[in-house]
Amino acid sequence: MSMHIPHGRWVVWLSFLLAMLFQIMPLPGLVESWRPDWLLLVMIYWAMALPHRYNILSAWVLGVLLDILLGAHLGIRALSMSLVIYVVVLHFQRLRNFPMWQQALMVASLVCLHHLLVFWVQFVVNVASFDVSLFLPALSSLIIWPWVFWMLRRIRRIYKVR
Amino acid sequence: MKPIFARGISNQFRLTLAIVLSVILLVANDRLEPVRQSISSLLSPLQYVANIPGAVLDWSAESIATRNMLAKQNKQLLRQQLLMSERLQRFEHLRQENDRLRALLGSPVHMDSKKMVAEVMEVASDPFRHYVVLNHGARSGVFVGQPVVDAHGVVGQVVEISELTSRVLLISDVTHAIPVRVTRNDVRLVVQGIGELDELELRHVAKSTDLRVGDLLVSSGLGKRFPEGYPVARVMKVERDDGQSYATVTAQPLAALDRIRYLLLIWPDGNQSEQAEPKADEPKAEETP
Repeated sequence: MSMHIPHGRWVVWLSFLLAMLFQIMPLPGLVESWRPDWLLLVMIYWAMALPHRYNILSAWVLGVLLDILLGAHLGIRALSMSLVIYVVVLHFQRLRNFPMWQQALMVASLVCLHHLLVFWVQFVVNVASFDVSLFLPALSSLIIWPWVFWMLRRIRRIYKVR
Repeated sequence: MKPIFARGISNQFRLTLAIVLSVILLVANDRLEPVRQSISSLLSPLQYVANIPGAVLDWSAESIATRNMLAKQNKQLLRQQLLMSERLQRFEHLRQENDRLRALLGSPVHMDSKKMVAEVMEVASDPFRHYVVLNHGARSGVFVGQPVVDAHGVVGQVVEISELTSRVLLISDVTHAIPVRVTRNDVRLVVQGIGELDELELRHVAKSTDLRVGDLLVSSGLGKRFPEGYPVARVMKVERDDGQSYATVTAQPLAALDRIRYLLLIWPDGNQSEQAEPKADEPKAEETP
């Protein structure tokens, strides 16, 4: 089978759908501010594994959908997700070859970047107050990334997604 | 090795396209309401699915409640109902009297407005804003700008609808303001949210304004959005600092905004005949000093 033919697209979009679900799932008040950015993590994985299929524009579409789901000002997460994924797509070779802890650190800093961008645009179009708890999701994403990576890689291999 | 980027457009071009599109969305946000509504109608099943774990928890908490607990709750509710119905008897009498007096004055008589109970869906919203999502949408007749109250007071207004869900902006959001009136002396003010669930602010209050701690603020109906007379907040602190040009006044919302579960959607009277209504409303507005 040729490498040019996409295979298992539905698996990828299903994973996006599940990530979106986790993103809006209710959490107890204390854990709420620690919610990892599931959608961004899953998007980073696919952009890293298959950068020629899932890249900036898919991130843009997912960002718009997330904005609508969260009731935010349209375009905020679309902008920041496409910028973050641009960084991933530029350096996907390097990211792939990093040891796991280094990769997780990189992902966490990307999540930080995402939240900074979201805060910044939010601040420009609306009112928003800065709070250090903004970066808690980066910490939880750091912890959760190895598992997300491992699971998505298994899924990719089982369903031969390309 | 895969033939990466052998064909197709470059990443830089994709990024530029994404940024341009995002900026267009950011600027045109308010005009894209119909698009947003139809997409969120498509996405609302996702919200219903996300709500399932919370609903299951609620259900299991209810089904493992002990007989003792239920009996206790039942007793409490019965007592509350007795108190309420006594109050309602007096209220009914007052209402008739009020209607008669209004008829004598030639002012429009207040009609009972349509109401509907809605449940808050437990889904996450934009962390920078104060929103809740309700399980009723355009299909149930919910409209943008609709007032929402709970058992204690005004909660907010509907800002976004889809077919099956709607999003309510709470009065504590920074972008929300509601015209109110002090019940003690009919002073009219505007209560604004500051992004705290348990605190509201009254802006531009002259230092000479007769306002005391404990004053009850009810909606004045002047914005033509919230019906008149619903309790909104209670004044918590009045500070008259000589260095400031206005008094600093904070108030506490009466609705328990941090643990709302069931809400009432209100259809203000004559919402269908919006054009005819303002004329009938005018004399009423003048009456209030």
